This record gives sequence, structure tokens and C-alpha cells, in this order.
Amino acid sequence: MKLLQNKVAELFKNGTINLMIGFKNALNKQVVPCFIENSSQAEQLIYTADCKNNLSVYLHKPEVKKIKKVGIIGNIATLRSLIQLTSENQLWDIEQTILTVNEKDEIILFKNMREVETYVQTYFPENHTEEDKKLLEYIDSLPREERWKYWMEQFSTCIKCYACRAVCPMCYCTQCTVECNQPQWIKISSETTGNLEWHIMRAMHLAGRCIECGECGRVCPVGIPIHLLTTKMNQELFKEFATRPGFSLKGEYAMNTFKPEDKEGFIK
Amino acid sequence: MEIKTINTTNISTFFNQLVQSGKIVIAPVLKKSGKIFFERVQSYNQIETDYIQTAFSAKSVVFPKVEELFSYSKTTDNFETKQSLSDIPETVVWGLRPCDSAAFNYMTRFFMDENPDIYFATRKERTTLIAISCAKSDEACFCTSVGLDPGKTKGSDIQLTLMGNEYYVEVITEKGLSAIKTSESLFTSSTEKSKEKYLAEPTTKFSIEEIKEKMQNAYDNVAWGQESMGCVGCGACAFACPTCTCFDIQDEGTGENGKRIRCWDACGFSQFTKHASGHNPKPNQTARRRQRLLHKFKYSVENIGMVSCVGCGRCIRICPAHLNIFENILNVTKA
Amino acid sequence: MSEFEPKIVAFVCNWCTYAGADLAGTNRTKYASNVKIIRFPCTGRIDFMLLMKAFENGADGVIVSGCHPNDCHYTSGNFHARRRWIIFRSLLDFIGFDTDRITFSWISAAEGNKWAQIVDEVTEKIKSKGPFTDLKKLNCTLLKQLYDEAITK
Repeated sequence: MKLLQNKVAELFKNGTINLMIGFKNALNKQVVPCFIENSSQAEQLIYTADCKNNLSVYLHKPEVKKIKKVGIIGNIATLRSLIQLTSENQLWDIEQTILTVNEKDEIILFKNMREVETYVQTYFPENHTEEDKKLLEYIDSLPREERWKYWMEQFSTCIKCYACRAVCPMCYCTQCTVECNQPQWIKISSETTGNLEWHIMRAMHLAGRCIECGECGRVCPVGIPIHLLTTKMNQELFKEFATRPGFSLKGEYAMNTFKPEDKEGFIK
Repeated sequence: MEIKTINTTNISTFFNQLVQSGKIVIAPVLKKSGKIFFERVQSYNQIETDYIQTAFSAKSVVFPKVEELFSYSKTTDNFETKQSLSDIPETVVWGLRPCDSAAFNYMTRFFMDENPDIYFATRKERTTLIAISCAKSDEACFCTSVGLDPGKTKGSDIQLTLMGNEYYVEVITEKGLSAIKTSESLFTSSTEKSKEKYLAEPTTKFSIEEIKEKMQNAYDNVAWGQESMGCVGCGACAFACPTCTCFDIQDEGTGENGKRIRCWDACGFSQFTKHASGHNPKPNQTARRRQRLLHKFKYSVENIGMVSCVGCGRCIRICPAHLNIFENILNVTKA
Repeated sequence: MSEFEPKIVAFVCNWCTYAGADLAGTNRTKYASNVKIIRFPCTGRIDFMLLMKAFENGADGVIVSGCHPNDCHYTSGNFHARRRWIIFRSLLDFIGFDTDRITFSWISAAEGNKWAQIVDEVTEKIKSKGPFTDLKKLNCTLLKQLYDEAITK
């Protein structure tokens, strides 16, 4: 911990960063994002296995973009989202300093995005918890009508708080489709058909871009495992098109490219 | 007010008799996700009894997340509208905490002052609130900082406090009396007892009077930027909060038929204050978070004389970044 | 009691399938009249939400059809559409939606007979499946009953 705190203090002192987005301890034994603006505050910083938030979502905030020189620390999922966002040209106006801590507890400071790309490509990350894998297996094993019942029960509890959208680094549209009312594609109110459409739309807009950090499922106030929707889609996309988001700085991913020889078995 | 006691062995009988009376009974239920929500139950063994706080408040009983205001349908040469207040059933909410009961008080002031809201009024009139005093609290609880405490009966129709092998029962209102009428044999009259040693002791974070004063000048404090950085702009805190009453009115339908509905809205959403002209007076999250906290601790006080926060801590627990409202308040009121 | 006549909505591209349907008409080919055709410039323009909206508004089945690969009037619209349909279909399947109710096809401007054949096949299939009620059931007391059941177990 001290090493990390010292490193960050140094980055402030030599003017590399004016803001550090990291983690700190908070009440009820929780670990929360913290925003440090000078070297004396660096002693709050911690980095443990509980640091699961994907901090790259904060890089879209105008308040953060204004500060320009921003440091950020994260796990593999966060690094992948930084790569994906860079490939989508969303981080051109921030000078990022990216840090991570590997399994050997070594602090790695990346000189540029290429280094992040190389680091991420050496890992084939399994972000999924045992719980998630079991739940996915369980849902896959259900017959169609049971699957429908399962998801409809889940969606009926959705309160449309949009926490899933708010924490997702890939959801950066300044005006979301749900906020369009000419026409009102997705109902504002929380009722099951509208909720179903919202989640389908979100999963489709994230297809091939979601880097499976699992934040959406973690923050859902009613506990719907929505991260499984995009996880499943990513698995299918990898099976069909051998692409994975968040691994390459080239702006190509499954849904914005095509191959004339793509195959499917259901088009008549 | 009447004081009674009921043995813990009889509490489930009382509960089940409430269910059998035909009323809808809403109580805390533990879900598969590990969170506890208020839901309709049919018997005492479905409810969760060992918890500090539910994930969401019970405000949906009187202020549902979606409420039909009226429906319309086209007749041969005109339109017909229908308002359906008669469908609202008699409801009992069991297992509220004292902070939640106090929140119902706030909501009553909000909806009934000046222009009484008939939908809220009808629902509130048909709802009985049975609260259970808090024996434990966690670090997110701060009711004692906003003028409440784990045993306060403000807003409850009946309040239960667990004292060893019996519940101390304070029947505060007429509604409370009629709720225990059919189960009267289970209760014993009692003298007033002190609840203090059975109550939780959440730490007091600040003095509400001091804060109310300091918030008067807090608008320009530069700390707002730092305190709002973690906010991602979702509606989780507003939806979980027992005193948040903002709503949106939408028309859903076609030219033939449809309905006008009222649904929850949240001041954290970026489009919440956007004008039809395109101008947004709260253009960034800092401005929106500041508005939220000033509303709760300054504007509410100016408008209806009540702080619109009961210290339940739900916003802290449910926030994706666990933003801490009382820490924010303390930091923006520092000189 | 009349037999159930399914409502089929067809999202088709202007240059191939729509022209193919026109050809079926000019040839006076007899085929099921259950289909309502919506014309798009290209299958690449078809938003997946439109399919959901069709079902929400009472469709029992949906046909999505366009130019054969390499024949798109806009060169690559149908290639993008193909990828989109592949992933949309697997998402719907994962959610438990009956993907048999949606039929995707490539029908060119010369394939009037194929159009008629597809419409007939789809109509037969949906007729035997029955009306689509999965979404209708959701917004009413049935779901509440399910919920109550789940709690009382």
C-alpha cells in the first residue's frame, strides 16, 4: 500500500497528474472510488482484491476531462475498458497515467496505451466468479419457457434506475435512446415489457463492446444478473467471429465490421 | 396512545391474523440476491426478522413506482376517462423502521400541503404502519443526526420494541387500535417502560440545527466538486430513499386508448432539469448533487419546515460508488 | 368460431425483397394474405427494436428479408444486418423468447415465388403455434399471481 501511495504522491509532485482516481476504505468495510487532487491526500489510497469498481467510467465526466492530467488504477477489466474506449476515440482529450497491480503485488505504471494493450493481451482474463458461471450454466440448462419465466420475473423487479447504464464505461451517449421521446422507444415507467425492451436494447448496444467487468450486475439495486446478458452475447460473438472487445487499439469489433464469408444457419 | 405487550411466541399469530383479515400485508422478505425488500406476504414464516435495513423503502405503498392517474378511451364521438381509486386495497406495512415511519410523515406533508394529492391521500388513508424499533444499526445509519432515533414513534400507527421474550407495543393511533382489535386476546395491557437499553446506538455525525444553519451559505463552497466526483448519475439513491418524491408524468397510449401514468424520477438523471428550449440549469453532476443535498437540508426546510432526510442510510448502501451523504454534508459545511 | 389468422409483419428491403413481392403480385401468385409489409431502403436500416415493437403491438410472427450477400444495393448493408441478426437471435434465445416466430431470409427481386413460399410457410407455422401471448400476459395480474406463488412456496 505504501509503495502505491508513494508512487502516486511522486506523480503529483512531478506534475504528471493533477487528479488520481483510485480506491479508499469507507464505512461498513466497503471499498469506494476516491478522487485525489494533491500528493498529501495520497495516503488514503488502497488497492486490494475488493477494488472491483471500473473507474474508467469517470473519464467521461466533464469535471474530470477539464482536469486533463488524470491518473487511474484498475484491474484487467478496467484496462480493457480503457483500450476499448481509446479504440472508440473517447479518451483523446485526457492525458491518462494508467496504473495496475499484478498478481505478484507489483505496481505497474504504463508509459502509453500500447503497453496497456500488450499487458492485456498476455492475459486471457477470467473475470467471471464461480457464482456467475454456475448461474449462466443454470440458465442455459433451462427449457425455453422456463428461461422466459426466469428473465420475466427478474425484469418485473427492474425499477429503471439506470444504475447499470450509469456505471458502464461503454455507455457514454450524452442522450440515451430512452431519453428520446419523439418517438418514445422505451417506456419511462417501470413495467415488464418496457423493462424487457430496455435490457434487450442495452445488451444489443453493448454487443461486442462490453468488456465484462460485471459492474452492471454488481450495482443493480434489485439484484438482477444483467451482466450475464452481455457476457452471453460476448461468448456467442467470440464463437461466431473470433473477436473480443478491449484487446486491441484498432477500432474494430464484432458489430462494426463484417466478413463477406460470415456464416449462419438460420437465414432461409 | 395505549401501551401493551405481546409475547414473542404470539407475534406470528398476530401477524397471520392480520393477513387473514383480508388486508394486504407487506413485510421485509429476503430475496435470492441476498437483499431484503418489502413485498406482499401470506404468512409470518416468509418474512425476514434479523436485519438492519431493507434495500428499498416502503414508499411504494403510498407512492407506487408506476401509478395510473386515469385512463382514456375513444367513444363514437368523444373520449371517456376513468379514474380508478376504488381498486386501492387496505394495506398493512409491517417491519418499518422508525426512520421509515418518520418518512411517511414527510411524504404526507409534501403531498397534502396546499394542493392535496388524491392518489397519495387515498393510499395513505388505507395504509396502517407497524414499525419495529431498531436493536442494531450499521455505520451508514445516522437517524440521530437528523432529529430522530431508533425508538421514535413519529409516523407509526403501532410501534413494536423487542424486550427479551416480549414485544413492547405502543399503539399510537386509532388505525393502530383497530388493527389489533381482532387479536386483542394476544395482548396484555402494560405501563410505560423505558426502551433505551433495547435500542441501537448509531453514532451522531452532526447536529441538525447546526447543519441547517450552515447549509444557508453552502452553495458556493468549492468542496461540492470533490464531493460529487463519485456520482455517476443514476437514480438508485432517489428510488431507494423513503423521502424522495420526485415524479414524471407520462402518457402511454394511442389515439384510441391509453393512460396517463405517474412514475418515479430522480434528480441525478442528466435530463431531469432539461428545458424544452434545450437549456439545462443543472448541466453537470456537481450541480445536480449539490441540488439534491441542498434540497434535503435547506430548501425542504424553507418550503415545508422539515428536513427531507431521515438518516436511514439506504442511499449510501445502494450507491454504485457508495457516496456518503453525511460525509458530503460535513465537508461542504466546513468553513 | 373462426380459425386463428396470424398477423405477420414483414420488414423488407426495397431493392430486392420488396421488388420480389411485387413480382409475386404481378404474376398473380396466390399466397397467404396475413402479411403486412414494411419497406426499408436496406436491411442494414432495420433496427432490432422494431421487431420487438412489432410483437408488442400485436404481431404473431415477423419476417425480415433482404438482398442476398454480395447483392446489396448499398454494397454492405446486408452484411452488417447479418451480424446483427446473428447476435440478436442468440440474445432472444437466451432470454427465452420464441425465436421460431422470427424468420430471416434472402429474397432477390427475381424470386417472387420464393417470397410467396416463405409467407405461406411462416403463416402455417405461426398458425400451428397459435397467437403470441408472451408479452400480453406480462402486464397484468398473471405475473402478479406468479409472484405471489413464488413467495408462498
